[in-house]
Amino acid sequence: MECYSLLRTDVPDLIDHLGAYGEIVAPHSKGDVSYSFEVVQDSNKVVLDYDRTLLPLKKMFLPPQEKLMDFSLKSLSYTPIKLHIKPRVFFAIHSYEMQSILRLDHSMLSGQAESNYLRRRKKSRFIGISFKPDEFHFSESVGIPIEEMEGFDLYLNEVDGDYQLYVLTKNGHSLIEGFEKIKTAEPEIAEDRKFNKKIRFHYNRLPQVFQYAYHSEIWAEVASRCVGCGSCTLTCPTCFCFDVKDEVTVTAESGMRQRSWDSCMLSTFAEIAGGENFREKTINRTRHRLYRKFKYITDEEGLPWCVGCGRCTAFCPAEISLPDILNDLINEDEKAQHHHQVMA
Amino acid sequence: MKRIQDVSEEEIKDLYYPTMCKVTKARQITSMEKWYELEMPASQDLGHGPGQFVEVSAFGIGEAPISISSSPSQKGSFELCIRQVGTLTNVLKNYGEGDSIGIRGPFGTGYPMESLLGKDILIIAGGIGLVPLRSLIHYVLDKREEFGRLIILYGAKNPSELLFKEELSDWEARDDVELHLTVDQADDTWTGNTGVITTLIPELDLNLNMTIAAITGPPIMYKFVIMSLKSKQLQDDHIYVSLERRMKCGVGKCGHCQINGVYCCQDGPVFNYSDIKPLREAL
Repeated sequence: MECYSLLRTDVPDLIDHLGAYGEIVAPHSKGDVSYSFEVVQDSNKVVLDYDRTLLPLKKMFLPPQEKLMDFSLKSLSYTPIKLHIKPRVFFAIHSYEMQSILRLDHSMLSGQAESNYLRRRKKSRFIGISFKPDEFHFSESVGIPIEEMEGFDLYLNEVDGDYQLYVLTKNGHSLIEGFEKIKTAEPEIAEDRKFNKKIRFHYNRLPQVFQYAYHSEIWAEVASRCVGCGSCTLTCPTCFCFDVKDEVTVTAESGMRQRSWDSCMLSTFAEIAGGENFREKTINRTRHRLYRKFKYITDEEGLPWCVGCGRCTAFCPAEISLPDILNDLINEDEKAQHHHQVMA
Repeated sequence: MKRIQDVSEEEIKDLYYPTMCKVTKARQITSMEKWYELEMPASQDLGHGPGQFVEVSAFGIGEAPISISSSPSQKGSFELCIRQVGTLTNVLKNYGEGDSIGIRGPFGTGYPMESLLGKDILIIAGGIGLVPLRSLIHYVLDKREEFGRLIILYGAKNPSELLFKEELSDWEARDDVELHLTVDQADDTWTGNTGVITTLIPELDLNLNMTIAAITGPPIMYKFVIMSLKSKQLQDDHIYVSLERRMKCGVGKCGHCQINGVYCCQDGPVFNYSDIKPLREAL
């Protein structure tokens, strides 16, 4: 693995150099306290130190709204939408975000492969960057260290205010070819990054906890605070559920079919024609969300489907904390185990 | 884990574009349900199995999952029977002979016909549940000698809601079909059994090792029918249920049809009862 040193002040030049490959998407400031992944217009505006963007990187592969077709109500026919995707470089991406894309890959390829996702995903390059965990990040607890480099072509590790650039793939190598502001360096380890938020059990014990947590009273407690707004799933980087709706123009002669992000936390999500609702109560829905992250797919794939970005917690208007729910379930599990031992 | 490298760009297939199918016949068969016969372009076969469904498109409204009501042994056309319960199905009501309807599919897992060969087939249909089961019934009738007994229990709220009345008379008249009808509320014309569908089960004389039950009906029906079958000692893995969920995309993506960790549109809508028994959201 090649390692180079790169001055912080030379990063905008690196971004400009990467522009030769294609469009660059990177974190930008949005207002005073928020960040957003946007297409780079000016490399000096890219933010290198950020906690998390409001919307995850999935929005670049599964847009919040996407037109699937135009149709005519006069001729009852439709015109497909042809996607033309430019090659894209995703710059300054945190390791949990990259891991969420690898999980989305799996979800989108399972069953019938999702065509538009794949087309957007195919020519992508990823450049990672290290970060300082805040009070919400807990990615280490779900098996994703800050320096996890899987999925990246290049990785920028901050050491003493400047960067070490790791070249991880052939694609990464071609991206920096001809860029002269880097010098060969010995890899160093940054020591000052600690996670404040932790899950008390190793993540591979969580499916076991969830095995017995279905009827826990913790769900009712969480549900009593949940306002059912769906922010947690919309900001979740591995959630991908959607709705499909038709919109008709005012002349009622034509329209378009569009899909948009949906949320299993919204009350009508599992409702069928005729009114039957298979997850009618908030408690059914809060539980479903966490089982999707720690049990159902995890049983099959051996990985939590939560990447510990902390978004669902940081952006929850009711201050519901996902790691706190996990730790409560773990405490309850331990008490039950202890009780069994005493009884035996 | 499935990885992006494992799929080449040439393999990418579009998932959301319907095939326009021509309505060749259409008939309002009750006050709520309309029956359609449809033809694929160039008279291709839909290529479905009993128990599968399609996504039906009405431009301007959207799509809805609809069970296929005809048997795959019927060539050149397929049939749908649609209850008018929502915006989309109420628009479809206006479609008739000569109109085109957008269809995606067939989707989902239907009945495992290979392993049903030689078995006694016990159909238990409640209300509109007869629509998907009719595909299975016709399949068995078309290959009658390949199956054992065909027992059909069918219940509706009242006599006027009974679907496919002419076919019911045909089945009634056949020696190789055992048809038992019931209605919740009788009217003056009704001379048959009155009561919920489970009232038909105790009297059945079943060969337990040979019998496969296929149940479809309103959500409330399953628990009670399964309880009745269990009291007759029918084993869990001899019971199939077809479940209704909001299968919006049909391809295991949109999430609306999830039953715990299972996508109803992929692993179902037809499930072996022994497989879904541990799923708490299933029945």
